[in-house]
Amino acid sequence: MTSSGLVIPASGSRAAAIRIAAVTRHQAVLLARDPGPMIGYTVMGLLLITATRPLYAIVAPTVPGAASGIDLAAAGMAVMFSLFALKVGAAHLLNERTWRTRDRLRASPAAFGEVLAGKAMPILAAIIAQQAVLFGVAAAAFGLRPRAGWLALAACAVAWSACVLLLGFGASTLARSPAQLSAAGDIFALLTTVIGGALVPVALLPGWLRAIAPASPGYWALAAYHTALAGSTAQLGRPLEMLGVFACIGAFLTALIAAA
Amino acid sequence: MTALLEASGLVRRYGATVALDGFDLSVAAGEIAGLVGHNGAGKTTFARVTAGLLAPHAGMVRIAGQAPARARPLLGLAPQELALYPTATARENLELFAGLYGMRRRAARQRIAALAGDLVLSDVLDRRARDLSGGQQRRLQAATAMVHRPRVLLLDEPTVGADPVTRDALLAVVRAAAGEGAAVVYTTHYLPELDTLGATLAVASGGRVIARGSRAELLATVPGHAVADFARPPAALTGLAPLGGQAEVSQDGTRLVITAPDPAAALAPLLAAHADAVAHLRSLELRPPTLDDLYRHLVAS
Repeated sequence: MTSSGLVIPASGSRAAAIRIAAVTRHQAVLLARDPGPMIGYTVMGLLLITATRPLYAIVAPTVPGAASGIDLAAAGMAVMFSLFALKVGAAHLLNERTWRTRDRLRASPAAFGEVLAGKAMPILAAIIAQQAVLFGVAAAAFGLRPRAGWLALAACAVAWSACVLLLGFGASTLARSPAQLSAAGDIFALLTTVIGGALVPVALLPGWLRAIAPASPGYWALAAYHTALAGSTAQLGRPLEMLGVFACIGAFLTALIAAA
Repeated sequence: MTALLEASGLVRRYGATVALDGFDLSVAAGEIAGLVGHNGAGKTTFARVTAGLLAPHAGMVRIAGQAPARARPLLGLAPQELALYPTATARENLELFAGLYGMRRRAARQRIAALAGDLVLSDVLDRRARDLSGGQQRRLQAATAMVHRPRVLLLDEPTVGADPVTRDALLAVVRAAAGEGAAVVYTTHYLPELDTLGATLAVASGGRVIARGSRAELLATVPGHAVADFARPPAALTGLAPLGGQAEVSQDGTRLVITAPDPAAALAPLLAAHADAVAHLRSLELRPPTLDDLYRHLVAS
């Protein structure tokens, strides 16, 4: 601010950084003000890990690549409840429409990509945090130990969370109301969970479901998690690649519909 | 004076409905242009086109010589409907918009404190927007549009539902913004506000501006009224009508209504010529044309 009180805004890339930081801070505040859904999806995941671990322990020897019941339970619930968390990210984008703030953002100097980047970061952090809590509790309480190392597991969690986030943003551009988003989000999460093998391991699914399982991003998330938990880092390439493909689909859908 | 905001020949359709049909408006730095018109006259569509939210089908808008998409840093928009983040506090709403316009945090904090003081929002800055009263939300919305000191300010009915205190605070801040050199387009249905603002007028109807000028210039084109009330039925007074010259004279019971651009000037010779009628004069009321009369006159014509 000058001595005359005139505010001089920053310009160029510095201004872009200020804009992204402003949206990020603001989105973090909005998430913090409404933490219920993320807490709920994390606590439910923990409960189901606890409840289903004995069942998965029986199933584990029949599942190729699974070391133990806790591997299956933790990875399955991490995938399932992160898919439910997808609705949180989508709802925050949809809110911009229902609160009519979208036009305020559009009328501002912030580019669409800047707004999206600013909104994405806190939501991504929240989904990664959810995954960290699920695996952290599974490790502390039930002895989960990733054979490929914690770093590999963290890389899988980041890749899957980014994929979930971008799919969620894509979904928000398709939904016209919160009710529509909630219903569509539940259906998508359950379908992806079931087809991907997060509830019942793919090896135990009926043949026709096994055949279509790779079409589900959940399948590749589980493949990544199972590899990190019971395999080696060298085997992570393919699942992470496929998660990248699904993330690109989400990003493309978001950009396409937002531009239209 | 150079126009900061210049719109010419704007056309915008929604399907078969023509919202803007050759809309022209220029607003100079430091000028407040009161944009008035009935619902559907094109005011809100004009604001949306100017803010770059809608593309015109024809015509052009320039803000400081630039197209809306490039001039966004220069523009402040407070739309007609509330558009705030309800779960964020007033301060957080303002900080977001300050940041969106590239304001550094320290400068933003100082500006927010000053603006909140001017708009009587200081005490509620840390309250969530959804918990504010309707008037406070209106002022907050206007503040989010002004926090970065825009050179062109579009305020679309900012005082809808506002109480007099809210309105006065807001109008003072708008005047101050114009005083600092902003070009302001102020859309309203409350015409007396435009007097308070010292605004020039743009009357919109059917998607175009049908009258544009200063208050005095436009009011000079509208007839006012003088109403003389007599103690007894002024049957004889009907004969006075032709004496009014350009004035129209009509009788309503005991009342004689003179309609003229300057009703006082028309009435004086009329009564001077009929001193006997003056003896029965009970009351005399002069009603110079108001902005409401101007608006009705223009829309009717």
